[in-house]
Amino acid sequence: MSVRPLRTLAVAAVLAVAAGCATATTPAVEAAGQPRSGGALTWAVETEPITLNPHQYAQAKARLLVWNSFEALLTYDARGALVPWLATGWQVTPDGLRYTLSLRAAVTFTDGTPFDAAAVKANIDKLREPGYAPAVAAVQLRHLKAVEVVDPRTVRLTLTAPDVLILDFLASPQGAQVSPRSLREARNLKAGGVDVVGTGPFVLDRYVPGQELHYRRNPGYDWAPPTATHTGPAHLDEITYRFLKESAVRVGALTSQQVQLIEGVPATDQPLITGNPRLRLSRQLNSGSAYSYYLNVSHAPFDDLRVRQAFREAVDVDTVLASVYRDTATRAWSVVSPSSPLYDKRLEGSYGGDTARANRLLDQAGWATRDADGYRTRAGRRLTVRLVQAAPYVRDRRDVLAQAVQAAVKQSAGIDLKVSLVDQGTAQQAFARNEYEVFDNSRADTDAAAALNLLLHSGGGINRTRINDPQLDRLLEAGQATADPTRRAAGYADLQQRVVADQALALPLYAPADQIAASTAVGGVRFEPTAGVPASAYDLWIAR
Amino acid sequence: MSLLRAVARRVATGLVVWWAAATAAYLALLAAPGDTVDSIVGDGADTPQIRAQIIAEWGLDRPAVGQYLDYLWRLAGGDLGRSYLRQRPVAEVIGEQLAPTATLAVTAAGLGVLLAVTVAVGTAGRRRRWPRRVSSGVELLLVSTPSFLIGIVLLSVLSFRYGLFPVAGDQGPAALVLPAVTLALPIAGLLAQVLRDGLDRAWDEPFVLTARARGVRERTVLLRHALRHALLPAVTLAGWLFGILLGGAVIVEQVFGRPGLGQVTLNAVTSKDMPVVLAVVTLSAAGYVVVNTAADLTYLLVDPRLRRS
Repeated sequence: MSVRPLRTLAVAAVLAVAAGCATATTPAVEAAGQPRSGGALTWAVETEPITLNPHQYAQAKARLLVWNSFEALLTYDARGALVPWLATGWQVTPDGLRYTLSLRAAVTFTDGTPFDAAAVKANIDKLREPGYAPAVAAVQLRHLKAVEVVDPRTVRLTLTAPDVLILDFLASPQGAQVSPRSLREARNLKAGGVDVVGTGPFVLDRYVPGQELHYRRNPGYDWAPPTATHTGPAHLDEITYRFLKESAVRVGALTSQQVQLIEGVPATDQPLITGNPRLRLSRQLNSGSAYSYYLNVSHAPFDDLRVRQAFREAVDVDTVLASVYRDTATRAWSVVSPSSPLYDKRLEGSYGGDTARANRLLDQAGWATRDADGYRTRAGRRLTVRLVQAAPYVRDRRDVLAQAVQAAVKQSAGIDLKVSLVDQGTAQQAFARNEYEVFDNSRADTDAAAALNLLLHSGGGINRTRINDPQLDRLLEAGQATADPTRRAAGYADLQQRVVADQALALPLYAPADQIAASTAVGGVRFEPTAGVPASAYDLWIAR
Repeated sequence: MSLLRAVARRVATGLVVWWAAATAAYLALLAAPGDTVDSIVGDGADTPQIRAQIIAEWGLDRPAVGQYLDYLWRLAGGDLGRSYLRQRPVAEVIGEQLAPTATLAVTAAGLGVLLAVTVAVGTAGRRRRWPRRVSSGVELLLVSTPSFLIGIVLLSVLSFRYGLFPVAGDQGPAALVLPAVTLALPIAGLLAQVLRDGLDRAWDEPFVLTARARGVRERTVLLRHALRHALLPAVTLAGWLFGILLGGAVIVEQVFGRPGLGQVTLNAVTSKDMPVVLAVVTLSAAGYVVVNTAADLTYLLVDPRLRRS
């Protein structure tokens, strides 16, 4: 008798596994067919945005929501070139200090306010207001001197120094245009919500915190960017984004047809999608900087170039990635994402995984003896380096990846990598007190140069290598002032050579990617060009 | 008169509990490494200018004691302040999440108690050796299984496999079933153990013998006399139950994608969103006091001896 409950439980467990693994026996594979207007979709997303005001945007995972109801002046095409959106074009003076933008006519915000030069000025003025968006004012707009309305269709930006990244700002969520009326009247402007509106193809009409966002079509929409696959109003009548934090729950909701789209499919769950004929998985590399370990050069042991090189040689990145991500991860060779036009391909295969060299370098650097646990020592001190990860920002199983790297460097070179997974406050404290040797980071900026400025400039906001290298600073500043794409790419290639090949400031690990799994009845599933994150719902349709 | 005094004493106790809880929460967050500015900065750009603006916006440069007194003063006046993280009034943040959590908690508590009483009454007594062994084993399993796992198993079988219940959100009674069951099972497990234990002990008491001698039917003896006796230790667990419901809600709400206070609390604590944390603590302290008062009143109802004294 006492066996029964146990058996029932075992059966339940088996059922649970079966429910997860079953490739549903379905009739024919349905294709989405031709685009059609109408219908509603539910999309399960991983992250609930902290704010719905695009000016306050700080989560790459929330980007797919921004462009439903808001639009920027410019956007990127698939080749990484800027193309017009709410602006029809721009001119820059030869000194790079003055940008004149012409604006599209007959665009209105969804609250009826017309979109014009005064609206653009109102947005930028608001961003520079003290206390409103400090990070935008201090980083993206730091070279902006003045905004001027030339005529209702023309606006001029004057800079204090040449800065091509101002265009990246105009194409970013923070540069999205919010109705001036919302800026004046919204109840909780910084939080956003149904009363903070833009010009987008959808209108946010319901927000249930902790549960979902609901958008309905903007019927008057007729100003799609050239990167979209159609023009006029969106296909869908409405779309609901439901917040499901657990990946197993998202996948289960999709396989049981309770939602039609999900984003964020970890490697372990991908076979459930690819093995199901009614579902389709697509993935895309993100823009910006690759996920890398940045090495703190301000104190021992990473103040010694040989130790930095040895650390990098001690890790067989391909093996580590395969063990953690089952061959779904794309290896990074540079701190710049391989999807960026600035990526320096020459770095591929140029370093890493040479255990003998790692050990030789450490011997030369004086870490020649070993202690009882097999770790290298010098003058009685163990070769220990600390990686501090802030738990709220750990994603893609980066904590597990850290353990794999830890095992690799111990086994192949006797380096003691201490990994601590801590709360945000403890991590910040460790960074402020310089009590770390390894810092892990990736950034999803559309222009990788914006990420490099923060991470590698001596005055950068996230300069955790603590590098102070005049040559790097010069390269970064020159890059920010260079508009010509070829010269720009050449400059950033030099920079990557210096950072990765010569100075070994970083161990690039993998290129972050986004995944979308969708029912085959959904058409128009795509990623935002260049950014590489899921696109807005504008081009989506659902078969009848 | 004595009633009035009793009420006054209750209210005073409640205030002390609230103050102690709010202060403890404040001190705990203060003692934790890092500060509020760190969590507002997040993992983005971090420069002195950005920090200065954040500090100025929230008045974070005032001494900790001043901020603490300010919090308490405003809290006492009913002003919960604004959330650092969400940039909205705390009353709004919490207000809209209160109803889903309350619905979930009350349903789960009711279901848990119902299950526990049914199981305990059905399996108590010396003659039912096998059923009680089985149920006691299942109870132990339920109490020791993380509710995360219970939730995922229930979802996989009943929602993903058989499509009986919707997976997500606060969408009417059907969506409430699985979260409530997930939260109720561990509660039922522990309560059933306590209740059965109480029933078994009551069985040996002289008053049961007396009742039987008067020719009272066995079922009446069980329900009217023994169960009442067994309820006393169970009622003492009301405070524990309240804590379990609040803590369990964090996990259940995450698994099932339900709105609610659990998620809000978790986010607020990890990001040092002091106004939200203090508001949740205040609310919990109030809830705790109410539940315990209700428990005390229940004693009077259950135990006639207390009514006389």
